[in-house]
Amino acid sequence: MNCEVCQLKELDADYFEVREVLRCILHTIFFHRALGLVRPKDIDLELFEITYVQCGDAKLEKKVDEKIDQFIDRVEKHPNKKKQICVSFFEVKNKQATWFTHKVEHLYWEQWYINLNVAQHPKPHSGKSHHSKLVVDPGESASGRRATLESSLHEVLFQIIKFVNEKKDHIPPIPNMEGVSFPYEITISSSSDSAFGMDMFKRMLQTGHPTMLS
Amino acid sequence: MAVNPHSELAKMEQIITEFFAKSLHIILESRCPFVSSRNYSGERSYLHSSSSSMRPRDKWFNLALRDCPAALENIDFWRQSNLEPMVVDVVLVQRHNWDSARSSPKLALERNLSSNNRWRLDSDEFGCGDGEKVIERWIVRYESKKGCKEGSSGNKRANSSTSSHALYKKSILLLRSLYVTVRLLPAYKIFREINSSGQIRSFSLIHRVYTSVEPLVGRDESEMQQFVFTPVDTSSGKLCVSLFYLPSISDTTSESSTPMSPQFIPDYVGSPLADPLKRLPSLPMPQYSPSSSPFGRRHSWSYDTRMASPPSALPSPSPTYSESRTLHSKFGSQRPPISSRYPSLEPAQGHVKDIGYDEYLHSPNFSPSPSPSPSPPVGGNMLKVLLRSDSAPVYIPASRLGDGPLSSNKTVLPFSPPLKATRPSLSLVERSSSIPTTAGKLSLREEEIAKTSGVKISSNSSPHKSSSRSFSRLSFEDSYDDSDFSGHFVVDDDDMINPDSRPGSSDRSGNLGTPHERIKSQDAAVGALVQMLKKAPPLQQDLNRSQNVCKPSRPENPFNQIQDHPPHASLSMSSSRVSGIKTTSDALEELKVYMDVKQMLLRQSGKP
Repeated sequence: MNCEVCQLKELDADYFEVREVLRCILHTIFFHRALGLVRPKDIDLELFEITYVQCGDAKLEKKVDEKIDQFIDRVEKHPNKKKQICVSFFEVKNKQATWFTHKVEHLYWEQWYINLNVAQHPKPHSGKSHHSKLVVDPGESASGRRATLESSLHEVLFQIIKFVNEKKDHIPPIPNMEGVSFPYEITISSSSDSAFGMDMFKRMLQTGHPTMLS
Repeated sequence: MAVNPHSELAKMEQIITEFFAKSLHIILESRCPFVSSRNYSGERSYLHSSSSSMRPRDKWFNLALRDCPAALENIDFWRQSNLEPMVVDVVLVQRHNWDSARSSPKLALERNLSSNNRWRLDSDEFGCGDGEKVIERWIVRYESKKGCKEGSSGNKRANSSTSSHALYKKSILLLRSLYVTVRLLPAYKIFREINSSGQIRSFSLIHRVYTSVEPLVGRDESEMQQFVFTPVDTSSGKLCVSLFYLPSISDTTSESSTPMSPQFIPDYVGSPLADPLKRLPSLPMPQYSPSSSPFGRRHSWSYDTRMASPPSALPSPSPTYSESRTLHSKFGSQRPPISSRYPSLEPAQGHVKDIGYDEYLHSPNFSPSPSPSPSPPVGGNMLKVLLRSDSAPVYIPASRLGDGPLSSNKTVLPFSPPLKATRPSLSLVERSSSIPTTAGKLSLREEEIAKTSGVKISSNSSPHKSSSRSFSRLSFEDSYDDSDFSGHFVVDDDDMINPDSRPGSSDRSGNLGTPHERIKSQDAAVGALVQMLKKAPPLQQDLNRSQNVCKPSRPENPFNQIQDHPPHASLSMSSSRVSGIKTTSDALEELKVYMDVKQMLLRQSGKP
């Protein structure tokens, strides 16, 4: 089973927008992977005119909020660095212990990479802003950046929808459970982390060609 | 165990049928506004909260949805259909002739057997003349593969056992995507807007469900964008969901209470742009005319601005100034922002001063009236000004002192209308015998005498009245065109002052010596005052000396000369005395007067 990787479009968000943006993206991903019985919950974003859907799993909500808090702490400690959140779905397989593998193996079959550039303070101009030059006060540029971010967030959500629609064959059988059907993990990394690439390498080893895992 | 292909096929068909129903439910749930707000609370409301009481249809595709009457009415039809394509049109209706009686839309089922054997669910039975626009078109269909419906019992057995499972899993994923997509489209905002408030709007959403794909009317199709969900392949065909939608429909709902982006309102109520009265002519040098001032005191801001623009020649404010001065300096500090806020108000400083001056006129302590009987407070004001010289710099219009014509000096006394009359300092009085206690009355008289006789009048015994008047006058004159000044002072001073004289001119400043002609700094003025006081002879002076001083027209040292003029509390002193022509009896009388004044001063200083 191959690991399908989806690199989502990079977003430029302000510090106070990070929480909403991440909630929207993460819950949209999990809603598509919560293939057990769900009661969808519509959530309206406060900063954007977007309604996203949660699967209604309280545990998942708590886990997502915790990870977002960790992400924000990471942003505060390492500002002005590209940050990435990785959502990985895996299967747990018990393997015979060998000299380089553990007994319990995580077989990643899907990974989502959410790329964020977090600004500590509002920037006067963002590279993606197409706002006119009739800006009189900073409020005008902030609304332009907000609109740009909203549009980008829209694109990211449709990117998720398209990926989910196009890639269906790699999904393992649905276990008979409510909420999120598959085990998952959420990791945070930044571009400067030395472990950033190592994480990727580890996953590549673990989710390599099926013939390697024998 | 062999899998019955027929059962598999049946399962697949059942899955497809339920898929049609579920997709219709998902679409109509987010496109069909509820009549009653009770049915929609903004959050999902489930009749069955627990999985044990889950309805069978909720369990399909592991997606429990909110009840939707419009969808429920059609689901049974689609369950009975032969997998015909399902077309759902979401129509935006603009109601031009709104009738309150038609506020509740009714669903009407019409079965048109004549044309396309289609069900038409039309919630628009009163849309005569209303504008309709198809904003979305959902097409759900199952394209069966010919010849593959009945799979062979051979190698497809293994696949058929998984085909229904795979179909079901992929259908779940597709419906998840459909559920999310429906809420990201523009039509969802209209749906939420209609549902959010109970207001009767001129637009509404209706839906039409067809069993066949009909071409869109007019340019609708060209404006629409297409989004196609990845089909779910099965062994016998593929399940397809596609969408045509209008990317932007904001113009049709322009009346909606969509929050506007922050806008800068230039003509808000109270702004100078909105109030024509606040528009002032942008003249560099205003032709001051208080009578023609259009503002008066109508607006406090105008008053404030006037207060805020003191004459430019005013000295810098001193902390020891009186309250009025403090008030004045406070407004003065605000000059730049007010000017920047109201740029057209800058040239109106003349008016400002006029009002400020008027305010001073009404000050109880300030009496600019140069009446023949000058009020004591004026003299007190003068004393106050002089006394201040000890603690704070004071501008003294030396050119005015002892001289009738107000001339030459650019110096002005500060604005200090509500001067509190204080007891004169004895020391000052002693230093200068010419400082009258009730100098107001005398000063005027003396000034008149000096004017007629050409005698220089020292600053001490100067007509304090004129000084006190002069400072206020000067405060204006230094900043205004003298000829335009038409306040009370000017009228009063015309009697005494050459109207042709201008500040700074020295037409009649023969009385003014060069050292005193221009005192431009406060320090210099104080120094001049101190010198004057120092040079002022005591109250008790030689009569002979006074006689010598009374000689006419020696402008060199007016202060020395004026000091010889004794202060007199009453106007009873004749001009002949000032003129210097005295007899012995006159001298003796004068001496008596001096003695009386001295004793009076001593008594006053002796009081606490």
